[in-house]
Amino acid sequence: MSKDQNSIGKSVVDLPANVTRSIFRNPLPTSDRGRAATSFTNFFLHIQPVRVSRQALRPSYTMGLGLISFFLFAILTATGVLLMFYYVPSTTQAYDRMLDLRSSVVFGVILRNMHRWAAHGMVACVFLHMCRVFFTGSYKPPREFNWVIGVCLFGLTLLSSFTGYLLPWDQLAFWAITVGTSIAGYAPLVGKAIKFILLGDATVGQEALLRFYVLHVVVLPLVLTIFVAVHFWRIRKDGGLAKPESEPAPKRVPVQVEIQDDPAPIMATGSIAVAAPARRFTIQGLVRGPLVKVGRLEEDTVFSWPNLLVAELFVLLLTIAGVMLVSFFFNAPLEQPVNVMHPPNPAKAPWYFLGLQEQVSYSAFWGGIGVPGIEVLLLLLLPYIDRGKEGVGRWFARQRIFANSIFLLFVIVNIYLIVIGTFFRGANWQFVSPF
Amino acid sequence: MRLALALVSVVVLAGSGAVVLKETKATWQDHQKAYFAQARLQAKSDAERASLESKAPKIEQTIVTAFGSSRVERCESCHIASDDPRFSSTSEPLRTHPYSAAMGDIYKDGHWERKHKFSEFGCTSCHDGQGRGLTKADAHGEDEYWPTPMLGYTVQADWKKDNATHLHGAEFMQANCAQCHKERTFAGTALVSRGRELFFKEGCFGCHRIQGISSGTIGPDLTEVGKERKLDYLWGHIADPRAYTPTSVMPQFKLSDEDKKALVIFLKSRRGGSPSDSSVDQYKVEASNATPVPESVAVVATAIIAAKTPEERGRQLIEGYACLSCHKLDDHDGGISPDLTREGLMRDHAWLMSHFQNPRSLISDSNMPSFALPQKDFDDMSAYLMTRTSALPAMTPAQTFQTLCARCHGENGNGKGPNAIYLDPAPRDLTRAEFMSTKPQLRLVSSIRDGVAGTSMPPWGKTLSDAQIQGVVDFVWSQYVKGKPRQIKARKLPDTNPVAMSADSVHRGEGIFLQRCTGCHGRKADGHGPNSIDITPRPRNLTNTAFVQSVSDRRLFESIEYGVDGTAMPSWIDYGLSQNDVGDIVNFIRSLNTSSK
Repeated sequence: MSKDQNSIGKSVVDLPANVTRSIFRNPLPTSDRGRAATSFTNFFLHIQPVRVSRQALRPSYTMGLGLISFFLFAILTATGVLLMFYYVPSTTQAYDRMLDLRSSVVFGVILRNMHRWAAHGMVACVFLHMCRVFFTGSYKPPREFNWVIGVCLFGLTLLSSFTGYLLPWDQLAFWAITVGTSIAGYAPLVGKAIKFILLGDATVGQEALLRFYVLHVVVLPLVLTIFVAVHFWRIRKDGGLAKPESEPAPKRVPVQVEIQDDPAPIMATGSIAVAAPARRFTIQGLVRGPLVKVGRLEEDTVFSWPNLLVAELFVLLLTIAGVMLVSFFFNAPLEQPVNVMHPPNPAKAPWYFLGLQEQVSYSAFWGGIGVPGIEVLLLLLLPYIDRGKEGVGRWFARQRIFANSIFLLFVIVNIYLIVIGTFFRGANWQFVSPF
Repeated sequence: MRLALALVSVVVLAGSGAVVLKETKATWQDHQKAYFAQARLQAKSDAERASLESKAPKIEQTIVTAFGSSRVERCESCHIASDDPRFSSTSEPLRTHPYSAAMGDIYKDGHWERKHKFSEFGCTSCHDGQGRGLTKADAHGEDEYWPTPMLGYTVQADWKKDNATHLHGAEFMQANCAQCHKERTFAGTALVSRGRELFFKEGCFGCHRIQGISSGTIGPDLTEVGKERKLDYLWGHIADPRAYTPTSVMPQFKLSDEDKKALVIFLKSRRGGSPSDSSVDQYKVEASNATPVPESVAVVATAIIAAKTPEERGRQLIEGYACLSCHKLDDHDGGISPDLTREGLMRDHAWLMSHFQNPRSLISDSNMPSFALPQKDFDDMSAYLMTRTSALPAMTPAQTFQTLCARCHGENGNGKGPNAIYLDPAPRDLTRAEFMSTKPQLRLVSSIRDGVAGTSMPPWGKTLSDAQIQGVVDFVWSQYVKGKPRQIKARKLPDTNPVAMSADSVHRGEGIFLQRCTGCHGRKADGHGPNSIDITPRPRNLTNTAFVQSVSDRRLFESIEYGVDGTAMPSWIDYGLSQNDVGDIVNFIRSLNTSSK
């Protein structure tokens, strides 16, 4: 009886512990072994390596740009879902819903602002992240394919921003999308078909609004999520963030390895375990590639728990703080409702396409399709064209001065075109001074 | 890292706190609390006082469905005292909305009863503004993109400063009264009626259509202009049309500020149908007005006093139909169109009748509206104008020029007279030496004596003797041209087109025209090619039938082959056109101008 009482008493006292233990299979780590274990016993954390190089954590190396982009995407998804409870993709209702978000919905203003500024921020950060990866040579083998996925992600980000731009259905949105889809229509052979598929009609109207809404809210986020997942997976499989070849790899001390089929580890019982060059292991799996850590522990690595996680948490809070601050002080624009008889002069594409529009003002095909197409193609093929193996993991390595110069030129020219298109073009696309 | 993490966490928490505070602590709550406090002081019973103590601010919302789409009105969230008569001397927003008999309110048993109850009408049906807004900037429509700012109270940021000073005042709300109170004699819409009067008196009815009132076709349809445009645009466009629409041909009428205000209020009241009509009723109104007597005619018809002769009637009609809001007659000058003082010496009855019926049949690019008036009225007005034959008193050529020519050609002879911007083709710039000095004197004399067909240059042959005309030509030459007549080499030009008119020739000519000429003369040959904006004088409208038919083949050949000195017309013989090519082009141009319009 007492035993039962004890066990009942014990189970009552243990209730909270039972609950927590049923959710969290392992307690918070207190030892190195525990810290290592968190990285492969947790669903969310097992994408991360057990140990991460110190260099990868240095803010000046990556500036956290990839993480910022990802967190901005998370903020966009969260705010986007909340906005979806109020928005209707109908030409007669959309603008009124936007007005309601501004005047009638609690936190409507900050929600919309956060969504808008996070979107612009994501386009900018993804671009900057691409620059960082280029300038540190982090697209070299084995990371070529991850670079390609990254370029695809950049394109998907632009498309997401573009499809979302139309949804307020005000003059700004309508004419920006009219310009953007017209540029798409300049493509030879398929241009008109692409434009028609995008718009569902000859001109921007209810069909385009519905299509853009579905793309923006369902299709592109899904595709983006899949690509992001593969992108993160490839980071792990390619060996984490690229780092420079520091000292030459230490000479491997040959270690004799005995392989036993007995899965149970051999434990010292009573007698002192002899520390001998021979170690015993059971086979977990066979891994190819430069990942063999046996007998060689990287000196400049730290545990992911807590170092990497603290860094990620910091970047997350920094991103949230940044978006919140900007959204508090600056309101997302909402212009007059759509009036198809009144194009603004000039009608401008969203800022990330203004460089394109500036180019188009010189030549419709070459400016809008030809040159950008070549740029995208070169970006995609970059790791297969530039096969040099040197200068990885460092900013502006001397050995890569040629590649870095070309890319820097590409970045500067594009930013310059965007600046011209934004500030120096007025009515009839004439040159005007913003001062 | 821990420190950085702590700092950024604090920022996020503080930011979240600020966001929450901003959303939950609103100004309208403060206003309501102030109201409750003041009402408590004035409370007459303990029960009332107690209920006010326990009152918490909440959004005061009315949903108005009577006028078409359902509207949300939250104005009373700040203006909570608007129906409380005890607050008539408090400052806004806690002031009682005024009561007045003019608005239909009734004073009975010591208190007012409001006719236009807020629960039925809301606020924005009279005041405009944004009903759903809960901040002053939102609710009053101060955002420059909000289409209906509060009438007479709110000025938006992008309104021109000069206009904005005129756009304050409760009287602008009469435009909204008129949405339901459409009767012409309604006391509360006096400025709307005055505006309507001016719409006729100033000649606006001739160019602009307002359904049920006028049927002009030159200017935009103003039936719904009150819905489409804000006060700033309406005022500004009347005060200076080209400041808002650079290519507008709308005259800049000289109106006093009071008149402009009345016109603006009248136009703002044009919303295309009353909100109190059901949609079916609106269609009934349209159908029954299918062929009304134009109000413009009806208004004038009632004002004409019995006249003994057609000419006398014509004179009254000319004043009644607001011709003088553009034209000049004796001392009354609209400043926009030609002087009719000696019209009897310049035109004949047939010309005047054709011109009345359709000005563009005689002057292709005239901006005079085609007034839809009864034939008899045109007859009488022509009869009157034909009596205007007073001879020009004796004067020097200089005085003659200032009296007759300066109105169009400018007192400096540079083609920039007060009328000039309204005339197409524009009056000739007589100071352009390259042009004037290469034209034979005979041509200048005949232009003055016989006029230039298809343009506003009238024939002065009956007003001026040959000697007077020569005097004017000499005066122009010495005063304005300041150049020497240039001897042009004799040019080999045919007197008539050597290429016979045929479908083939026209087709070839069209081909050359499309290839060479459309850049200036336009694809429709109307002189509005893409280059035409930058050229002075403008390229010729080659579909100006009256003009083209008055010009000889020889002159066409000369203009095309050798260009026109002093204009941008190049000499095409230098660009490879043969005489046969030019012959085809001439046939093509002639083919555009065969019908007598």
